[in-house]
Parts: sequence; C-alpha cells; structure tokens
Amino acid sequence: MACLSDEKIIALGEGDLNAIEASRSRDHLLVCPACRLAADRYRDLNQSLSRPMFSEPPADMIPHVLQHLYPALPRYTSVIAAIAASLVFLITWIYVYFDFSSSSLIQALRLTADGTSSWLVNIIKAISAVYNAAQAAFKAGNALLNMLLPAPLATVVIAGSLLVFSGLLVFLFIGSMRKKVHAKKS
Amino acid sequence: MILDEDQVLIKKTLRGERSAYEELMRKYEKKIFSFVIRMVRNEDVAVDLTQDFFFKIYTVMDKYNFEYKFSTWAYRICYNLVIDHIRKNQSQVDSLDDDSISPRDLFASENVSREDGFKNLAREETRDYVWRVVDQIPLKFRELILLRYIQDLKYDEIAAITSLPVGTVKNRIFKAKEILKQEMEKDGMLV
Repeated sequence: MACLSDEKIIALGEGDLNAIEASRSRDHLLVCPACRLAADRYRDLNQSLSRPMFSEPPADMIPHVLQHLYPALPRYTSVIAAIAASLVFLITWIYVYFDFSSSSLIQALRLTADGTSSWLVNIIKAISAVYNAAQAAFKAGNALLNMLLPAPLATVVIAGSLLVFSGLLVFLFIGSMRKKVHAKKS
Repeated sequence: MILDEDQVLIKKTLRGERSAYEELMRKYEKKIFSFVIRMVRNEDVAVDLTQDFFFKIYTVMDKYNFEYKFSTWAYRICYNLVIDHIRKNQSQVDSLDDDSISPRDLFASENVSREDGFKNLAREETRDYVWRVVDQIPLKFRELILLRYIQDLKYDEIAAITSLPVGTVKNRIFKAKEILKQEMEKDGMLV
C-alpha cells in the first residue's frame, strides 16, 4: 500500500474515515515508520489544539454591558421618600389652602406641644412652623397679586403657575424615562 | 419541549431577569472574547466587538428559535459581527479570499521566533507555540481552527455558522493543520 496522504492521516486522527479505510490506514501505519511519524506529529498538534489558550476578557466588561442594558431603577428608599414628600406637599397645600390653622385639632396640638418637651413635640412644632411660614408666604403672594391684578386675573395667574410647575415635573419625568429607554435600546 | 440550560436562561432573560442574562454572558464571555481577539488581533477592538455581541444578542433574543442550539445561533451572530468588522477594515487584515499561502510570510510577527528552534519543549510550551502560530495563519483558515477548537464546534455546526459547505470546512481545517505541522517542523518543535 502506498504511503498515506497528510489529508488521510488527519482524517484518521479526527475519526473521519470509514471503517474499512481506517482499518487499512492503521495497518499501513504499523509497517511504515514515515507515516507513523507524520501521524504522531498530527496527534501532538491535535493535542495542543484541543487545549486552547483562552484570553481573559476585562473584568469590567460584563458590568458595563449590564449597566447599559438594565439602567438603574429607582431604589425603594427613593420611591418611599418621593411618596412621603408628595404627602407632605399635599397636606401642606390643603392646610394652607383651607386655612386649618384655626381649627380645633390644630389648636389642640399646639396647646399640647406648648405644655411638653419631648422630641415628638419638637417635630410637631417644626412642622407647624413650616406650615405657618408657607401659609404666610401664600397669603402674602395672594395679597400682592390681588393688589397688582384684578381678582379673576390673580386666580388665573396662580392656576397658570401651578400648571407650569406640574408641566415641568412631567417633562423632567418623561425626559428621564426616554433616556433610560434609549440606553436600553442602544 | 425540553429546554437546555442556555434556553432556560434565555426564557428568564426574556422575562426581564437581569441575573439570567448575566449568567449567560459569564458562561460565554471567555470563549467569545478568545475567538474575537484571535480574529481581530487587537484587544481594544476585541473588547468593543464582544460587548457589541452581547448587546446584539440581547436585542434579537426574542427572535431566537428554541428548536436550535443557542450556542450555534450565538456563534453565528458573533462570527458575522467579526467578519463585518474585518471587511470594513480590510486593509488591516489579510484577505478572506486569498487562496495562496506563503508560510514564510506568515511568520513576520515578532511574536513567533523562528530562530529559537528549541527542541523537545515541554507540552505547555508546545501548546503556547501552536496557538501563537495559529494567530499568524490566514484568516480563512484561522477562523475555522478557532471555531473548531476555541468554540468546540463540529464540522456541520461550523458549516452552518460560516455558510460554507461541510467539505470546504473539512478541507480548510486539514490544510490549516498541514500549515501548522510544516511550521512546527521547520522550527524544530516536532522531532
């Protein structure tokens, strides 16, 4: 039998020959030192290739990808803080708008606060002071507007200011959401 | 339908589970990066392409067909991404269609020292040497060696990824091995 071609030796090493061809090739290798040497060399080469050298990717690669794909969502604490701030704002507004400062409940709270000195009382006092300041500012602003503008127009200006403020908040919120969606898509 | 480990992770990722996609990336990052860096031979480009690959996979994941192996689908995307990059930067790399092989020109890189000729090197050193030689062979052979041994794919899977006939894949891998053997013999790495 003639010497085996390189292709046949490689195919034999890869188990890619049919049973008869493989058997004939193995028989030939037993009697042909040159082909046996070539087969040994391909075997060594295959062994080296079968244990590939992997390259280590940078450690920050996956965190970087994740950061882009999953933009940080607001944490629970910040959501709770936002809800609390909204509640405080709403209560302040109701308190100022309906002028509850003279109501019996508020008066009772004030009297209780005046008579004691615990930390809770100090908090109530602080909140009450903020309410009073906000109420005073609202009244002053209202009086100024009423002085400068006729009554219906002053109301329109106040309503308009509130609308602009709300619009600004909505705009900022939508802007941040669009930014997140864009980051996710990119 | 029984899902394999990768497919379970894909399902979870599609449901929005960040940790599932992280696990999937951790599983493949080394193989993908090793493949890409050996194809483009530039670490910064390889990092960018590997990241692009993970972005792409995430973006088109909803189009994945669960009847096929995820790895084959993913490697095909990776392969196309790398080949597109190489074609756009054709001047920096050797031709994909160059059939002529001139082994003498392959080893111009200083990474492979032809003069050393150390004999009877330890197995690990031989392996390092072989893989450095792999980095120098023409792209059309290198890509198949990388898919076969880095990605551990079968001939038919490589054929599906590269859109080449199985026979061509086999012939090119055989040819690549002949080149590698010749170079090792010249350098006295095989005695």
